[in-house]
Amino acid sequence: MIGVFAGREIRSGLVTPLPWILFGTGQLVLAWIFLQVIERFSGLDAAARQVSLTQELTLNLFGFAAVITMLTAPILAMRMFSSEFRDGSFDLIAAAPVRFGSVVIGKFIGLMLLILPLCLLPAINALMLIGSAELDLWQIAAATLGLCLATLLFAAIGLYASSLTAQPGAAVLIAFAILLIFSIIGRAEILTIKTLSLFGWLSWNEHLFWFLLGTVRMSDLAYFLLFTLFFLLLTQRRLVNRRL
Amino acid sequence: MTTPLRWQASVDRLSFRIMQTLLRVTNLSHSFGNHPVLSEVNLSLERGEVLGLLGPNGAGKTTCLRLMSGLLTPNYGQIEIQGINLAKHPLRAKRHLGYLPERPPLLPELRVDEYLRFCARLHRLPRRRITIAIDDAKQRCGLEDSGKRLISALSKGFRQRLGIAQAILHQPRLLILDEPTEGLDPVQMRALRGLIRELARDSGIILASHLLPEVQAVCDRVVILHQGRICFNDYLNDDKPIYGWRVQLGTGSTLLKLTALPCITGAVAIGEDRYRVLLEDGTDSAQLAQQIMNAGLHLRELIPERTDLERAFFDLIGVEEGR
Repeated sequence: MIGVFAGREIRSGLVTPLPWILFGTGQLVLAWIFLQVIERFSGLDAAARQVSLTQELTLNLFGFAAVITMLTAPILAMRMFSSEFRDGSFDLIAAAPVRFGSVVIGKFIGLMLLILPLCLLPAINALMLIGSAELDLWQIAAATLGLCLATLLFAAIGLYASSLTAQPGAAVLIAFAILLIFSIIGRAEILTIKTLSLFGWLSWNEHLFWFLLGTVRMSDLAYFLLFTLFFLLLTQRRLVNRRL
Repeated sequence: MTTPLRWQASVDRLSFRIMQTLLRVTNLSHSFGNHPVLSEVNLSLERGEVLGLLGPNGAGKTTCLRLMSGLLTPNYGQIEIQGINLAKHPLRAKRHLGYLPERPPLLPELRVDEYLRFCARLHRLPRRRITIAIDDAKQRCGLEDSGKRLISALSKGFRQRLGIAQAILHQPRLLILDEPTEGLDPVQMRALRGLIRELARDSGIILASHLLPEVQAVCDRVVILHQGRICFNDYLNDDKPIYGWRVQLGTGSTLLKLTALPCITGAVAIGEDRYRVLLEDGTDSAQLAQQIMNAGLHLRELIPERTDLERAFFDLIGVEEGR
């Protein structure tokens, strides 16, 4: 049943212009950043180069790609539940013999597969330099993994926000608000004792940073996977509670 | 030896009854916040029965249907579909359910065939049966030539037909239709009436509608909801409804002058210059109007007499019929 929902979301997503516009715009922006990084790096003398080209690319290109997927995920997620509540088409699912858990996972997989090309774009851009520059492929792989994990979290938050309201616009704003809190919460660390880094730990960009440096840590993996699961469970509970 | 046999016979009779009762609603109550919507609703639906759910706006019809289809969970009470408790075993119970909400639950970005295929898989139809089921549902709802059409480009009537097609696709035992004739043309309405009677051979159907003649034409039993309570639950008799006429004439008219008209078989005065009349077979209102004019009586109003159901409806919800 999960496959039925995932397939339907991909099919519905691909016949609407939204993913194509987001994909095209994302590639334009990433290409611009890619060219800037290359131009700046090639203009420096060998002695002035403090970090490798791969590091420059992962920090700038992949870092900005994370911001793009953060903006994209809620927009693609809004039609998953919010639009269905508004149009009344969710009644079709609610009256069918299916578990809400399957619905949430199916739609989440569909959403992820729609955003996945955007996660792979920075790697594709970077890999074009193979043969003409020395690249650390493992660092690019780690950065891609980090970007995919961060996108999992963004998609889960977008899906949860989408389940909260029948107004797709409001769903996007709610998702942006949650993501904004998760983005800037690390800055609250300066207000607390330095050794207590809870706020820093809650911030997604802190965890992504390690992936971009090429380090895959269990704590970072656990952060993304646990928060993704947390928001998916909240979504499932929200759907169950809608019946009350 | 006789006692166990008698006991067994009782069990058999009971099982037969349970098998035949498709839907049993017991003490169903629901409220939205502090606003009660349904109070102690009890009803059952047998196989082969078409039940019409009537009521004014806000009476709780749609809430009642949403509860029965598992879209809402009742605050109190129990719903059983084919003897399966909907709250405890929703997946098993919903397998027997086909539901058409007030707004057909369509996916506008898909084509008709794609949508029906998705619905078939939602209802867990085996792959080998999907194509046959889709063709059958399309044929029954007059959508044979619309398989490749985009749903967003369909007219309101076709959308309604597609909504009905998705509800009957998996041949459910219990079919719940909320305003199914909405947006259909008269030909389609008549076809739907035939389809409902045909489907009712193997299943039970609950139909909510505002159209009293429609309900009267197709339903075996009528439940009237008012302010969340059932205030009427009875079988419609098969007798043809009496189609009389109400006439208001100019001042100075008498019952005698009216009954003297050849097309009138009987008349009673129901107020000053107001009469209820019955016509001869084969005559119509045009002839009645013509004869009233020819007799020099001034015709001020000529309206059809309401049918029994209409009268019951207005009496029960406490609305004065008018003059």
